[in-house]
Amino acid sequence: MSQGQIGAELRLVTPGMAIGPLSGKRVGSGALAQNEQIIATRLGWVRELNDTVSVDPINSTYMPRSGDLIIAIVAEVRNNLWFMNVNGPFQGLLPMSLAPWKVEFGAARQHMGIGDVVMARIQEVDECHNVVLTMKGVGLRRLNEGSVMTIPVNHVERIRGNNNETLLRLRDVCDCRIMVGDNGRVWIDGSAEGTSWARSAIKLASQSGHKLSFAADLAALEKNAPKRGDA
Amino acid sequence: MVALVPTLLRQELARLAENDARIDGRGRWEARDITLETDCLYNGEGSAKVVWGDTIVYAGVKFEMRTPWPDRPNQGSLMCGAELRPVAGRKYEPGPPSPESIELGRVVDRGIRESGCIDMESLCIVPGEKVWGVMIDIHVLSDQGNIFDACALAAIAALRTATVPAERFDVGEDHTLKVNGTPIMASFTRVGGRYVFDPTEEEELGGDERIHITLGDEGHLHSLQKGLKGVFTPDEFAEIFDVAQSRCVELRKLVANQEGN
Amino acid sequence: MGGYGDVKLLREDGLRLDGRKIDEMRPIEIEAGYLPAADGSAWVKHGLNVAVAAVYGPMEAHPRKIQRQDRCVIDVRYNMAPFSTSDRIRPGYNRRSREISKVTAEALESVVICERYPRSKIRVEIEILSAEAGTRCVGITAAAVALADAGIPMRDLLVGVASGKVEDIVVLDLDKAEDNYGQADLPVGILPNTGEIAFLQMDGDLSPDEFNLAMEYNFKAAAEIHDIMVDALKRRYEGGEN
Repeated sequence: MSQGQIGAELRLVTPGMAIGPLSGKRVGSGALAQNEQIIATRLGWVRELNDTVSVDPINSTYMPRSGDLIIAIVAEVRNNLWFMNVNGPFQGLLPMSLAPWKVEFGAARQHMGIGDVVMARIQEVDECHNVVLTMKGVGLRRLNEGSVMTIPVNHVERIRGNNNETLLRLRDVCDCRIMVGDNGRVWIDGSAEGTSWARSAIKLASQSGHKLSFAADLAALEKNAPKRGDA
Repeated sequence: MVALVPTLLRQELARLAENDARIDGRGRWEARDITLETDCLYNGEGSAKVVWGDTIVYAGVKFEMRTPWPDRPNQGSLMCGAELRPVAGRKYEPGPPSPESIELGRVVDRGIRESGCIDMESLCIVPGEKVWGVMIDIHVLSDQGNIFDACALAAIAALRTATVPAERFDVGEDHTLKVNGTPIMASFTRVGGRYVFDPTEEEELGGDERIHITLGDEGHLHSLQKGLKGVFTPDEFAEIFDVAQSRCVELRKLVANQEGN
Repeated sequence: MGGYGDVKLLREDGLRLDGRKIDEMRPIEIEAGYLPAADGSAWVKHGLNVAVAAVYGPMEAHPRKIQRQDRCVIDVRYNMAPFSTSDRIRPGYNRRSREISKVTAEALESVVICERYPRSKIRVEIEILSAEAGTRCVGITAAAVALADAGIPMRDLLVGVASGKVEDIVVLDLDKAEDNYGQADLPVGILPNTGEIAFLQMDGDLSPDEFNLAMEYNFKAAAEIHDIMVDALKRRYEGGEN
């Protein structure tokens, strides 16, 4: 979030605070125009890009968008569909036609039950916030092993880093598969020690991935990482 | 209050348990950081705040003047209740008092009452006419695991630092409530197949039954409760009873430190 | 002269019993993010009042009957802990709390940009741990900080503040004795940015001039409290920290 503003001073604003005069600028998310002024509507950091003034919120709920790659948990099962917890305000729906298996009508329960964890994509979101998921696609499947942790949605970019740099580095150190969902859930699969280390590293990246001190902090953590090849 | 338990969580907890490890890296019987503060509520005759990991609870002691029960003309009364309001967590939906909050209050109550640390006759002001009613109210602000131990600790700390408000009721001078002993609760939850001390919210979510043990100063049992679905063996109990002895001694020191102030 | 019986609320030197001037506020402290697991939270101490607010949401609005198709609803629970007052409050249904919950929710719905989250609800849990007159105002202030902390979009930070009258003098920010023995109480919820009012109650006896003066005090204090709210939020997140 602050990556595109190196050298620019970060300015924190609160709801109702005046950011600056409207004068020809466009109003982006997290702000509104009022009496020729641009007013912040969310607690966050002012971002000005190409004459558009917006506010990057410090906290966000996950709002699903079509195409998002997410980690979801089965919340309820019906004859021909599953209700999925996607870590947002509303549950999503996975119809049997979009499941990765051939499902007979009435047999949904045989394939997945409550609590099962899956990698899925958001197929579509309508104006009423009804969310449909799909598991037809490369890599989309039920996750039978590994562990899941949750981080704030607006920290997802920090974990990934520039061009996934941070993520690749973490994977390398602990020899685990790590997949960061757009909905803030992170899947880790590896040895017990590797997974434990990955959890701490992800927590660190989530809290300080954007700070200058991060590189040093991560290096310190890497010293304690389990060596590759350790079962 | 039904939370969704991911299958992977239970799997992970089981694997960690096999390696004698826990999600946050603690030892099997190790507690998170605990801070205890007393005399922190302006209108409470006694008060305590416990921050236990990310769990936060308050306890307040209030006194009322009442007429004694006819069959116990020389005795005052003690009452302890707990509120688990929606503030405590996302999973606590609004509604009437849940069985969980009622159990919480009653288990903490029994631990204190059965230890005999309050002499009911010492609460008598005028036999047959006026006695003190002592009320402990526990308020959970944040449930991030192990609320039973946090609540029991807050309750006894508030009690031991309480002042009887005799002046306000015109029956003498204010004085410290006489409390003999410090009953302490230690709770154990089955996580990944084995009992651990001080579970986090995540461990409770993926865990099973819990056992609450309240011990007095001499290490005697004063109350027991097993909650949630599950079974345990006498050997398992013997092991946690043993661990409870040392955990309770440490927690008792936290209360003693507050009384110096 | 006003006053109840022979309780004097103003001193010979014109100051109030606690030494404050007639237009002076009690000290106020605010901390944002007080509860580690809530979506947003705040702790506010104002005089001897202590309020904690937690925000959870937005989430699907249940039960169905409270759901609105075009916006979210703000679901407020204002509650006083049993040990918050000098006489213990029995836990359970309380009509006063129920009313305050309702008007607080309606005030917050006037500030939150509810259209952002159709069919949802945002839970606001206000717990009064210690009460010393003006708890509904402290509750509003705590709720506003908690909502901002949770990242909920709002037109402004709603500020709760009250003025009243004692011994025929209009005063700012009544304390307990003044609230019990005074002649009027005027709590409001103000949007400092535009000067609009989203919460208003009053009881007692105020002439139109006295009302105007009380509102003037309220607006002045709201600006001060607003600065403290902003400072609390900045302290939590400044320096590119979060």
